[in-house]
Amino acid sequence: MGEQMTRQNLQISSLLLVGIITFGLPLVLRSPTYLHILILLYLYAYLTSSWNLVGGFAGVLPLGHAAFVGIGAYSSTILYLQYGISPWLGMIVGGILAAIVGIIIGLPTFKMRGAYFALATIAFGEGIRVMVENIDYLGPFNLNGPRGLQIPPRNVGLTNLMFTTKEPYYYIILIMLVAVLALTYFISRSKLGYYLNAGGEEPEAAMSLGVNVARCKLIAMAMSSFLTALAGTFYAQFTLFIHPKSIISLDLSFEIAFIALIGGRGSIAGPVLGALLLRPVSDFSRIYFGATLPGLHLIIFGTVLVLVMIYQPRGLQEPLTRVYHKLLYRLIPEPAGTE
Amino acid sequence: MKGTKISQHVFRGILATICVCSLIFFTGTPSLAGPEVVKIGNIIPLSGPSASVGQQGKQAREMAVEEINAAGGIKSLGGAKLEMLYADSESKPEKGVAEAERFINTEGVHVLTGCWNSAVTYPTTAVAERYGIPFVVPVSVADKITEQGFKTVFRIAAKDSWWTRDQFAFLADMEKEFNTKVKKLAFVYENGDWGKGFAGQWKELAKKGGYEVVLDEPYPSTATDLSPVVQKIRRAKPDVLMLVSNAADAILLTNTLAEYKVKLKAIIASGGGHADPSFLKAAGKNARYIFDIVEWETDVNKPGAKEANAKYKAKYGENLTGEAVDAYLATYVLKDALERAGSLDPAKIREALATTNLRSGPGMIVGYSAVEFDKTGQNEHAALVIVQINDIGSGMERITVWPKEARRAGYTPVFPMP
Repeated sequence: MGEQMTRQNLQISSLLLVGIITFGLPLVLRSPTYLHILILLYLYAYLTSSWNLVGGFAGVLPLGHAAFVGIGAYSSTILYLQYGISPWLGMIVGGILAAIVGIIIGLPTFKMRGAYFALATIAFGEGIRVMVENIDYLGPFNLNGPRGLQIPPRNVGLTNLMFTTKEPYYYIILIMLVAVLALTYFISRSKLGYYLNAGGEEPEAAMSLGVNVARCKLIAMAMSSFLTALAGTFYAQFTLFIHPKSIISLDLSFEIAFIALIGGRGSIAGPVLGALLLRPVSDFSRIYFGATLPGLHLIIFGTVLVLVMIYQPRGLQEPLTRVYHKLLYRLIPEPAGTE
Repeated sequence: MKGTKISQHVFRGILATICVCSLIFFTGTPSLAGPEVVKIGNIIPLSGPSASVGQQGKQAREMAVEEINAAGGIKSLGGAKLEMLYADSESKPEKGVAEAERFINTEGVHVLTGCWNSAVTYPTTAVAERYGIPFVVPVSVADKITEQGFKTVFRIAAKDSWWTRDQFAFLADMEKEFNTKVKKLAFVYENGDWGKGFAGQWKELAKKGGYEVVLDEPYPSTATDLSPVVQKIRRAKPDVLMLVSNAADAILLTNTLAEYKVKLKAIIASGGGHADPSFLKAAGKNARYIFDIVEWETDVNKPGAKEANAKYKAKYGENLTGEAVDAYLATYVLKDALERAGSLDPAKIREALATTNLRSGPGMIVGYSAVEFDKTGQNEHAALVIVQINDIGSGMERITVWPKEARRAGYTPVFPMP
């Protein structure tokens, strides 16, 4: 029993250590370049974790999540630019709006299976992009069409979610990431999590046992789109410029799905592992090869993707968990009979 | 007890890994280079939809830097050589911002240039402004870039309100010269920020000029079939068709217009796709008589222009384009400013750029007479020329026709189209 305790202790203390490292990193790593890369890494891990609630647990493949990022970014930015409302409030408004849109999209599409659902969400994401690109004014709201919206870097501070240094952004996105991971953890151990899993794998069997699969999926979709929209606001405040081609792009939707597939869908650590692998590959290959051999970094990115898909179709999460457990058992061997 | 000891081991192991990792991070930062190098960070689209333009800009910069370094570098800095660093923006704003951060913080560049895509240039110049690093924009047409109140941004090329202004001035001049009345205009443009920006200004200019707009049609640049758009043009029966297109759609539109035999008095394009080297090759005869507004043409009457073009063509196998010339000139503007600054301090370089008055030298192969920046950082002298595509015995070529004093000797523009 005592040995079991230490094993758990070790897990908790290593988790704590990771926490200390991530929270303490900006004290050591002062270069804004690397902080920028890390912020984007966390942002993608966050986005993918939010996506995971539907794409992982509910067992469908949504490929239009960039639309929710866009809804979040545009809601808070318009409210801030036109009415001076703090982006923190705008973030919540964007989240709620995205959740409503998520439900509206989910109602008809969750009846579709496999590729049809993926295609429907692609169409939805692209549809929103084309709409934003072609609308200058939506009622009183100035979307500014394809030219995008720019947030002037004035009144910098916490209330306006705008900073001149990278550290505050780092901590905000890190806290958001931890929160969404905790939420995923609790959901995966809740009734909803089990229902979702059952509905994703064997919808008929689940339904015959009285699980309201459609309703569970809708709840997951609402949560997922709400959380995704929050990241949209963060992104807008981080780059201070949004335009439909970059923020509601299919590229973004795909990258979220890639990270999830590489890391491991439906697991808690998967999105983080995926982002840990793919973001540096994308950033560093661009930095080192972007100028000398244009386009090579995209080929490298694609190759990594293909290799992982061939050798680890269930994502990196599975073999890494195996290694982790092996390590754990080696360090603290199974209690052999009596102590 | 045994457990805690082991976990201590693990702690130490993890700590060591972190140390190693952070070491790698830090040694990744190159050590300070000697004072005899001026580092210039260039953020341009080297892959993605605007890769071709980015590549032209890179080649022109390289040619200029080779020339400057071969001629002894920056003399006031003890013969300091220019060192170009390139980063790929992929035409994406967030990539441009990340690269600007890296150039400034990790590479320690003294000056930045770029980014061609206006959507990338806005947020990227904001980064430079925050760090006080001078940012030279060879060409990014959106007016807003020099209207953000930034102190460190300098743009060489004309802004989009000047392009549209000159297109209408040209049209009025043609009407007078050939005694042909133009009433009905059709606007067809790519639905990105570039096309929409142009179209917004066209509408105002049309109202002011008393023209009737019979068609206002944005289309997606990625379209694989533009016959519905061409049908609309045919039905609207405009006198003059005005276009903003990227390369593939410019070719597609031109060929479809010819296929449907649409009768027009003139077509006025806005550079970009129509100025791309691939356009003439793929559209061939169908492109005949199209007017196009550009910043530069190979037949420009400027000393050194022919030689520079010949050198570029020998090196890279294609003619200089407006974008390439802007980048070439920008490098010489920088050289001039560095020479006068005599320092690598960004604030001093900015001061020198602000007082630029470049009138001659190898870079000045543009059609206008000088580079001088106004208070917003816009080059006051930037001007444009209009060319006509025609075959006068040596295959399809681009012939400068406007302004009249720049017109190629012995050529009479064909207006209206036969």
